[in-house]
Order: sequence, then structure tokens, then C-alpha cells
Amino acid sequence: MRTITAGVLGAGRIGKIHANNLMAMPGVRLKAIADPYADFKEWPGSGIATSANPGDVLNDPAIEAVVICSSTPSHADLTEAAARAGKHVFCEKPIDVAPERVRAVLETVEKCGVKFQVGFNRRFDPTFARVRRAVVDGEVGDVQLVRVTARDPAAPPIAYVKSSGGMFADMTIHDFDMARFLSGSEVEEVHAYGAVLVDPAIGEAGDIDTAVISMRLANGALAVIENSRQAVFGYDQRVEVLGSRGGIEAFNETPARTVLRSSAGVRHDNPLYFFLERYQRSFVVELEAFFASIREDREPPVGGNDGLMDLLVCLAASRSLIENRPVRVEQPASALSKNRR
Amino acid sequence: MKRTTVGVVGVGRIGRMHTENLVRAVPDAWVKAVASPRLDGAWAEALGIPVRGTDAGAVFDDPEIEAVVITAPSGMHVELIERAAAAGKHVFCEKPVAFEPERIARAQAAAASAGVKLQVGFNRRFDPSLVAAWEAVKAGAVGDVHQVRVTNRDPKAPPIAFVRRSGGLFFDFAIHDFDTVRFLSGSEIVELYAAGAVLVDPEIGRAGDVDTAVITARLASGALAVIDCSRQTNYGYDQRFEVFGSKGSVMVDNITPTTVVASSKGGIVGDKPYENFVGRYREAFVAELAAFVASVREDRPVRVGAADALAAVRAAVAAKASHETKQPVRLAELAQPVGGGARR
Repeated sequence: MRTITAGVLGAGRIGKIHANNLMAMPGVRLKAIADPYADFKEWPGSGIATSANPGDVLNDPAIEAVVICSSTPSHADLTEAAARAGKHVFCEKPIDVAPERVRAVLETVEKCGVKFQVGFNRRFDPTFARVRRAVVDGEVGDVQLVRVTARDPAAPPIAYVKSSGGMFADMTIHDFDMARFLSGSEVEEVHAYGAVLVDPAIGEAGDIDTAVISMRLANGALAVIENSRQAVFGYDQRVEVLGSRGGIEAFNETPARTVLRSSAGVRHDNPLYFFLERYQRSFVVELEAFFASIREDREPPVGGNDGLMDLLVCLAASRSLIENRPVRVEQPASALSKNRR
Repeated sequence: MKRTTVGVVGVGRIGRMHTENLVRAVPDAWVKAVASPRLDGAWAEALGIPVRGTDAGAVFDDPEIEAVVITAPSGMHVELIERAAAAGKHVFCEKPVAFEPERIARAQAAAASAGVKLQVGFNRRFDPSLVAAWEAVKAGAVGDVHQVRVTNRDPKAPPIAFVRRSGGLFFDFAIHDFDTVRFLSGSEIVELYAAGAVLVDPEIGRAGDVDTAVITARLASGALAVIDCSRQTNYGYDQRFEVFGSKGSVMVDNITPTTVVASSKGGIVGDKPYENFVGRYREAFVAELAAFVASVREDRPVRVGAADALAAVRAAVAAKASHETKQPVRLAELAQPVGGGARR
């Protein structure tokens, strides 16, 4: 297996996870990490160059691929800079919050001829990947209904809510992607009901904390998402697909598979606490897939068009919430043709 | 105290089941008469029912009969309730009483003015699992209710002839789900958005109906609800429920005929859920009749009455309108029926 030299831009929470995963990944050599704000105490003696300047990574000719996990507003610029420097790019979601900007980034990436993968990690979760396989292999037949239940364990701080771009852009975007991924179809129309039931301060910040979202997919199927910012019993992540031959359902994952029986009842473990625990494995697998697509010169399994489509669904849902009517999702011709590959 | 004398009007599939349940499992009831145009006399005789008629008069004109169970075809429910009420008999009527809110209000008014009880056959309200879920919600186990989810899927699509006269998926099938959302939330549906599709059988579409639907709703309490329906699972009658709130959630899963799990190289295989409502809601069908008979004997209000049928049918009307107009529909904007009366 050919070893690929990589750099990481952004060493916040998710950046550190990616960097540590890359250090342990066969066939990858993590050469440099750049972040203007990070302390790099985690990597003394690792042989990894650390810098406050992204240019140190982007201008290093030995680096073939970069993993961008800086703050959201810098994703688009850094992706373009990296692509222009001839580097393959893995970028955390979202590429940008404006579709025009995302389209410009996609054009740049295409022009530069580099691989581009977006961090929709849940597609690489072994459980959800199994559900998708049931669809691809025909175990459930033609997809008729997709259900996604996604509830965070605790509401985020209000400061985070204010800068998050709203629950749909911050949280539900993963669920839109999951509906598209599991069904293998685009979302045509979306209707969203939202409410503030967890914390009135979230409402005062102009956001919602609870939602049910109904969608019509291009293949004719229906989909529904249930969201809450607070499931006090833990991170509630379940999906289900019903098809013409049957259904497949994915349950929550727990730290251990035990059942405690006593006079107080039959107790199961709470789900793994939050996304870092629940999706630990997916963060590794998505990067393995990214580097494999470079090595084998294949299209990455989740690309810029997915990022764009998820964003367009997100914008339609936001508009539906405001106008309380179903909203058709803008279908850019280029994105559609790409996704059918 | 002597047993309550009951008559059954209409003994098709459901009517036979109710009659057998009354005879075998409701000791406080005595089924004196059954009436149905196509009565199987031998079946009724074997159950020890002395009066067996082809005309409803065999039940309504018998002064000894205190309560009637109406399981005739849906279109006849309202007239039969009116006749029963006029004869001073308490009524148990299969859902949905009628597809038109005005007609339900008429039946409700007839029962109210005659001073008889009117219970409606929303069997799920008597299912031990759903009752336990509601008791937990009521006791505060989930805190404030934020979301209610109902999954209702049939094993196999019904024959097209049934689809044509069923009133459609929203009236025939999702009607139970509207009632369940109200039951489990303790709140009312204020607005809903229904997306229906024909994915199971194109014939159902040609008959003007849908076979798959997702219905989302806002409740008066502020909570949100989701109903997903399908006419065909291929894996049995899929009945799952969830109430999620500020302190947690309660879930009701499918029930299987046995709990056997067979593990082999080919996989770990357990039972499918029950094949239909007769198996899944066996206990509920008995409990709803026992509760009705108890309401009559103890002169207590019925647990689910015409007001509930009215609310569920109004939600069905809204869902059909929402599906057709592709817009959310507020229930308050539907025409209000006149008449009505308090639940007794």
C-alpha cells in the first residue's frame, strides 16, 4: 500500500480526533498540523510539524492531501487554497452555508482535478452502512419509507446556538444526508414543524430545539426525521428503512450489551453518550475511505455534491419552517448528474 | 347482580370476534341476540345465543336488551346508533362511527339526548402496553411530552374492493393513529401535514387511495407528532409507539406470538410480529367490551366516546385535505359540525 503524506488544518476538537486517527492509520503519514489558535501539547516528540500558519501545510510539496477541520467560515477558502496547491481535500461539513459559495468551491475543486470528500461521517458508521447495504443488496426491496431519529443528549450552550447557523444547519444536516444516503435518492420536497420545548433561551436566540420533518424523495419514497436537542437518556440515533420486501432498523449502541434484571425492573445501558463516542469508528473509516480513493484514483464515497444537496435540503427546511408550507428543494442539474454516477 | 343483556347488530368478521369475546371472556355480559342479514345461525347457536335474526329489530325491539354492539358496515353506524338510542339502549359502536364529522355529531346528540352511553371501538386504548405507556406519561415518567411517534403498518395490502369502500387510508387506517396520538399525548391535534404515496400497489392509486403516508402534526400542548403508515410490511403487523419528553421516553414495541429465537450460521431469527390486529390486540378487544359493560353496569362514563371519534375523524378529514392540497391544514379551519353533546 502506497503511503500518502497528509496535513491537518485546524486542531480543535474534531481536528485532534482526525489527527490522532491519521497517526495510527496504515498507509498515511501525518506530516504537519496547522492551527492559529491551538496549543500543540498533545503531539510532543511525534515528529509532526506544528504551525500557526496554514500556509506551512499548503505550501509543503511533500503533502499530498489535507484534512480541513478548521472553523466553518474558513472551510471554503482553505479548500480552494488546498485544491489550487494540488492537494486532495477532506473537509469537515459544511463546506459553506451559502450554496453559491459551495458551488464555486466545487468548480475550483473540479478544475484542479483533486479528490474532495466531505465529512458526513455517519455514512461510515458500521451500523448505518449495514442498513444502506440492505437497500443496495435488495434485502428490503424498493425503498418506501425512511425514518431517522436523532436526538442530542443535552442542549448546547446558548453561545454555541447563536453561532451554529440554526439546528437544521448544525444538527439536522446529518439527518438529511442520512435520508439521502439510505434511500439513494434526492430529497424533492420538505415540510418542517419546529418547536421550542427544551429551553426557552434557544427560542430567544431565534432557533428551535425540537422538530419533525416530512420529506418526499425523488424515487417516490417518503422520509421523516425526528430531532430533539435533549434526550436526557443519551444520544438517541436510530434509523429505519421500510421497503417493498421488508424493513431494517438500527438501534442505539450502548457501551456494553448487558441487561440487569432485579426487583426494580429490567435495565439496559443508556446509549453511548454523544457523537464522539457513538461515531468513533466512523471517523476512522471515513478517512480510510478518503485515502483509499486517492490511492486507487476513485471518486470519494461522499463528495462535494452531497454537501451541496444536504445544504439545499437544509435551506428548504428552514424556509418551510418559516412559511409553514412544503418547500421544493432546488435541484441543480450538475449535482443530480454527479450523484447518479 | 344479574348479567347485562347484550345484542349484537352486524356479525361480519369483527362482529363475530366481538360476539365470541362477549360470550367467552366478559362474564358480566349475556349475549341474548344477534342480528345480521347474512347470519350464520349454526355459529350463533353454538355460542348459545337464543335469539338469532336477520333484521336489527330482533335486537332493538327486545326490551330486555340493555346494550348493543354495532359492528354493521360503517355506512349504517349512525342510523343504527339512532335506533338504539331511541330504544334506550347503550351502544358500543365500531370505529369510526362515520366518515363525516356532522354524522358523528348526530350520533353523539342522539345518544346524549336519550341518556345512553356511546363507546367507540378504538381498541388500542385498551391494549395493556399502550395503557401502561399512557399511565407512565400521566405519572410524569417522560416529563413534558415533546414528541409522539406512531408506526402503523399492515402486513399485506387489502383487496381493492375493500380499498374502494374503506374510506381511504386516512379514514380507515390512520384513524386509529390520530386517536393514539391524542391518547398518548393527552393533547389535541391542532394542525397536520400529510404526505401520502402509492408505493405498494398501483391499483390502490387507481382506486383513488394511497398506501404509504407520513403525517406530521402540531398538538395543542406544543408537542409534535409523527405517524408513519404503510399497507404492506411483508413481516407482519407493525405496531410501535413512542412518547418522548423532557425526562425521557416510553416506547411500545411489537409483540410476537412466541419469544423463540433460533440461532444458526444463517443468522439469529425470531418471530415476526402478529400477522394482524386480531392477534396483536386480542386482549384489547376483550378489555374494551369488558370496560363498556362495566360502564353500563356501574353507570360510569365510557373511556372512549363519540367526542374521540369526532376528533379522530376531523384529523382524517384534515389529513386527506392536506395530502390533496399539499399544504398543512389547521383543524380549526375545517367546517365545525353542529350538534354534539358531552361524553357520557
